[in-house]
Amino acid sequence: MALDTDDEILQDFLVEAEEILEGLNEQLVELENSPQDADLLNSIFRGFHTIKGGAGFLSLEAMVNLCHKSEDLFNLLRQGERFVDADMMDTFLKVLDILNTMFAEIKSGQYPSPADAEVIESLSAYLNNDSAPAAAPEPEPEPEVVEEVTPPPASTESSSADAPADDEITDDEFEALLDQLHGNSAPGIKDSEKAPKEPPAPAASASSSSNSDDITEEEFEALLDELQGAKKAEAEKPVPPPAAPKSAPSPSTDKAVEPKAPTPKPAEKAASEKVEAKAAPAKQAADTSVRVDTSRLDEIMNMVGELVLVRNRISTLESSFENEEMAKAVNNLRVVTGDLQTAVMKTRMQPIKKVFGRFPRVVRDIARSLKKDIDLELRGEETDLDKNLVEALADPLVHLVRNAVDHGVEMPDVREAAGKPRQGKVVLSAAQEGDHILLTIADDGAGMNPETLRRKAVEKGMMDEDTAARLTESECFSLIFSPGFSMKQEISDISGRGVGMDVVKTSISKLNGVIDIQSEVGVGTTLSIKVPLTLAIMPTLMVMLGEQIFAFPLVNVNEIFHLDLSKTNVVDGQQTIMVRNKALPLFYLSKWLTKGRTDGKKPEIEHVVIVNVGTQRVGFVVDVLLGQEEVVIKPLGALLQGTHGFAGATITGDGRIALILDFPELMKVHANRGY
Amino acid sequence: MTVKVLIVDDSSFFRKRLAEIIATDPRLQVIATASNGEEAIREVQRHHPDVVTMDLEMPVMDGITAVRKIKTIRHTPVLMLSTWTTEGAKSTLDALEAGATDFLPKRFEDLSSDKIEAQRKLCQRIYQLASGFQASQSDIPANRATNSQTQVAAAKPEKSFNTTPELVAIGTSTGGPVALQKVLTQLPASFPCPILLIQHMPATFTPSFAERLNTQCAIRVKQAENGEHLVPGTAYLAPGGEQMLLKGRPNNLYLSIEPGDVKETYKPCVDLTFDSIAHICGSKTLAVILTGMGSDGRNGCESIKKKAGKIWAQDQQSSTIYGMPMAVAKAGLADKILDINEIGRQLAELS
Repeated sequence: MALDTDDEILQDFLVEAEEILEGLNEQLVELENSPQDADLLNSIFRGFHTIKGGAGFLSLEAMVNLCHKSEDLFNLLRQGERFVDADMMDTFLKVLDILNTMFAEIKSGQYPSPADAEVIESLSAYLNNDSAPAAAPEPEPEPEVVEEVTPPPASTESSSADAPADDEITDDEFEALLDQLHGNSAPGIKDSEKAPKEPPAPAASASSSSNSDDITEEEFEALLDELQGAKKAEAEKPVPPPAAPKSAPSPSTDKAVEPKAPTPKPAEKAASEKVEAKAAPAKQAADTSVRVDTSRLDEIMNMVGELVLVRNRISTLESSFENEEMAKAVNNLRVVTGDLQTAVMKTRMQPIKKVFGRFPRVVRDIARSLKKDIDLELRGEETDLDKNLVEALADPLVHLVRNAVDHGVEMPDVREAAGKPRQGKVVLSAAQEGDHILLTIADDGAGMNPETLRRKAVEKGMMDEDTAARLTESECFSLIFSPGFSMKQEISDISGRGVGMDVVKTSISKLNGVIDIQSEVGVGTTLSIKVPLTLAIMPTLMVMLGEQIFAFPLVNVNEIFHLDLSKTNVVDGQQTIMVRNKALPLFYLSKWLTKGRTDGKKPEIEHVVIVNVGTQRVGFVVDVLLGQEEVVIKPLGALLQGTHGFAGATITGDGRIALILDFPELMKVHANRGY
Repeated sequence: MTVKVLIVDDSSFFRKRLAEIIATDPRLQVIATASNGEEAIREVQRHHPDVVTMDLEMPVMDGITAVRKIKTIRHTPVLMLSTWTTEGAKSTLDALEAGATDFLPKRFEDLSSDKIEAQRKLCQRIYQLASGFQASQSDIPANRATNSQTQVAAAKPEKSFNTTPELVAIGTSTGGPVALQKVLTQLPASFPCPILLIQHMPATFTPSFAERLNTQCAIRVKQAENGEHLVPGTAYLAPGGEQMLLKGRPNNLYLSIEPGDVKETYKPCVDLTFDSIAHICGSKTLAVILTGMGSDGRNGCESIKKKAGKIWAQDQQSSTIYGMPMAVAKAGLADKILDINEIGRQLAELS
């Protein structure tokens, strides 16, 4: 039987469970570092507890069973009756993996398949240990041993399944209690294959103490009958929210967005205005969030984009009118559109935590397999960015973090020899800087040696020795983004296949992002990624080449200045300019992008825009600088498919079409250079 | 009047489900929700709910602490929604001791196989809690028992029994765990007869409850076992999910624990136990009905009364829910209607 993935209750569960699973991912790894953190244990316990509750409500027995066992075990842990050891950690991580699989199954509309019997058994074994007959009234938890990775027999001794290890409990009572515990809370122990039966009939009916004979039952029944019809109808309706038609029926795109509105607000109102119809305020208090299909948000965003274009257009028109009233109205329009744009963008925002959350586990797994000792620090997890960006950043980030752990941080012994602490450190941070997000991945590892990189580049036949020798340090570092360039001597299964880094760079460029590397031998490497806050609306610098307008993504623009063209030099056949003692290549964009221009009458002074391309800076000569404008990116039509060097097109304020440049592509096509 | 309900649960999933369920009952209205104890306290102060449904496990502040704080702010009945495991039992009993009024399972399957029926039951319970609570207005904080006892002890004891009873039986439901604690803690270890306790409670809860009472009381308290012979100075708690019947003859009394019938609403049921007592001990019995919803115990008391046994009932003032004691009092069966502390004190005087 399949699950109805359109069911609102199921969707609610999925939203909450997903959040919890992400949290657990992080918390479990944290647990390994601080196995006795009471708050952490409590919070993990609650995580399993809540999932179990929801799964139980939906009769997802396999999930209930697994969560139940984990919850029980964490209960013992949080009461200090057991301690986490490495084996147990592995089991927990396995449990988490299984839960994630189950989650995916549920999401795709299947009932989760029962968990691996092995995992259930090992959980049961941990639980069972505690009820071993050795149960001493005063458990000796051996507190000192805990720091060690394996306190082997401690587990059997630190027992007594019941918290109030009171001296007064007789053995009999204790046994009875244990029986209870077993009979009811761990029914799956014996036949772990089977889904657990709920504490059977007795519990069910013993409780039904609600019928009061005194409140006239007939009256009540009558009342109920009256309501029955309505109630049943309401309870059985599958309730697909009428507000969300299935514009994209695929469940995977169907994610909930919970606006972080202060929750109790509507309730407040409801209380003060008692006169209102009963049903309405009750509903208000209950629902403060609405699930919206992301495709719907995309649609809204798109329309806001159009509105921005119209605003730009009107704004341009207005300047030719010189009418004060008009100017005021247009100004108003500008403000409102701006606010609307921000508001819509905010609904699409998600904390980067969603991506960061998986890193503790990633780092832990790699560190364990490489036998390195690494502390991962996460900063700025609450930084919000566009949902699409969050998803798009996930893979590149994973790759970079893996690299930092694998290539960056040295083996503990090596570190010690170098006078560093044995434990390496990787810091992953996110912060908003104006209209873009800055992500950095910093390690305190060996750093990169430019010489090694140069040698490697020559060995790989990527360039000759002279060229290599002329590379600046940062150009050397950028080499790691070249296809087929792997730094590690032997290829490990974690990284080092040499395909990763250039893919990373490409995907970051696709997001209009920029990567920068800084590295110092013996101190560490820092990778910075700058991406715009959103993909839909892009601040650009508008320039003219001849009669045509082009838009430079502002995130790429480094600086603009007037240049006396006589001051350029030609190095190695390439025209260059000196900017603050750095030689930058200089290109005439009009040569690439416009037709029928004679190179004859060049003005003495030209506008030069310095642009970040990948990790490099390049100067472009343009004819006219128009100024900054926010534009909405429109994909190029089918006819123009395959034209390289353009990210898309947009409509400018004066109603003309401007092409948006994609610099990395442009450089590849026209300058024969990969950046 | 609609009953204003505050839902407290850290799971948004359950908050929503509860709100949906409660919204099906026109007598109830969800006025606010809170995701942890601290929020709950704020909402109680702001909205003055008539009933609070409270989860146990929550971040920031757990349910038990929240109950304790809410009690100091505003007198509000709190319905604990807990898991029905041994573990849940301990926390739930803690919560009841902290001042929670009643409890129900969080997973409605635990209550009944019929979800709709179980949900209706939840609404009904919330409604009754609000109305029952308003009726009784008990304002006496717990744990003052010992003080008042020493004060009243000076008064001349008026023996109600010509001879000491041979058996004391106490039946109770909502509010019972705390009430029983107040009564039993006043009894000396030398209490002259056995005591039977019938508290409406699920099977997973009674062992913990018995153990808890045992540590708090001078007399011995244990969960009753099948075939067990009664000993003076010991209280036998009827196990949840089953029925406890008295067997044998005076001087050789023993208990029979029998599986409950599906038809029976309460397991354990006060009426059933009291009926069995009436047949054997009759006039030598003192039956006490403490706070509780419904009217279980009324028929049992009638049987005992017919055999000239004595009946005491808790008064309205000190009852959490004045249902079961009211049923007995209204039927004219009660020999005495007493404050909860007075019940303990006068029982202690029997020794």
